[in-house]
Amino acid sequence: MIRLKIDELKPGMILARSVHNQQDLQLLEKDSSLTKKRIWMLKTWGIDQVSIKGIPKNDGTTDFEAELETKENIETQLRAKFADVTDDPVMEEIMKAASRQLQKNLSDPEKENEST
Amino acid sequence: MNPPDLDRILSRVDDLPTLPRTVLRITELVNDPKSSARDLARVITDDQVLAARLLKLVNSSFYGFPQRISTITGAIVLLGFDAIRNLLLTTSVFDLFSNRRKTSLIRQEQFWDHSLGCAVGAKVIGNYLRYGKVEELFVSGLLHDIGKIVEMIFLPQAFKEINDLVKDQNILMIAAEEKILGYSHPQIGNLLAERWNLPPKLISVISHHHQPSEAGRFVLEAAIVHLADILCRSIDIGYGGDNKMPALDKTAWDNLRIKPRAIESMLAEISKEFEDISLFITYSP
Repeated sequence: MIRLKIDELKPGMILARSVHNQQDLQLLEKDSSLTKKRIWMLKTWGIDQVSIKGIPKNDGTTDFEAELETKENIETQLRAKFADVTDDPVMEEIMKAASRQLQKNLSDPEKENEST
Repeated sequence: MNPPDLDRILSRVDDLPTLPRTVLRITELVNDPKSSARDLARVITDDQVLAARLLKLVNSSFYGFPQRISTITGAIVLLGFDAIRNLLLTTSVFDLFSNRRKTSLIRQEQFWDHSLGCAVGAKVIGNYLRYGKVEELFVSGLLHDIGKIVEMIFLPQAFKEINDLVKDQNILMIAAEEKILGYSHPQIGNLLAERWNLPPKLISVISHHHQPSEAGRFVLEAAIVHLADILCRSIDIGYGGDNKMPALDKTAWDNLRIKPRAIESMLAEISKEFEDISLFITYSP
């Protein structure tokens, strides 16, 4: 786990602790994954720092890869979600299309982030 | 006969969230063939907040008009009466969502996102099918799960039990509702929609979005929202209350005549449009 400033957050990172506002109202639950919109929402609530899951490396940087949403993760979650309906070929088709879309979503926001 | 809890809700029907007076007045005007754009503009401009919102909405990228629209009358002439009514209905329902603080903020935000995602999804599917009034589909998508909001407000204990059951057994929310309440959110939504005097098409979609083939003359609209719900859940837009996929209604799917290979481009479009509109109509409790 590591504390990161709001500007260092990237979509795909997973919260190690839940985030509360000054009135102690819960904004985001522990284990929620960050999206562009959620980072923006935290900013508007005036949050400066949050705890992110990650593995600190020897050179002082942190390896988030282990906790980022990965392709394999997406597949596993989709399979679980579609478990009861895959005997329907249309649902099978929707699941495959969704998998491709979710992977696209995963790479797109990161690209944008790198350029800023 | 209604189950006891549903009767209890019925008996407290006066406490159910009501639509703002202005929106009701606008609904009346829209249904009155003798009313003019000027009558409608007068009612809207009386409510500053509503007027400002309307202008913000019509000038958003969602509508994509090339020039800036600066007057309410201009907006009415461009969009038409029905579209205006639907827009205002949308923003009012949005208020309803944001005034409740009984669950965690993130839960409310995700729930709102699910509704907004379905609204965008229904619009995208409608465009693909060249359906004439896509803004009606948008509102239908936005309101399809309104029954869950009523549960959250009026049956907080049962609502908690339903959510616990969903978590424990990893089942659909509608299945948990049946087990705990003996009825489910489409029935509750139907109650509220009737109470609000919503148009029959909207009532039908709210009541039948899980079994669209039973929606009678509005089977097409119900099928569109049914599919939009499934598509949004598949790409994790918001949270519909559980982590399962509802079964696709076979008759409804056949009715839609959508080519399976069109699904991927629909998902891409929903994803993009949702991103655009959700930054604009953001959930701000």
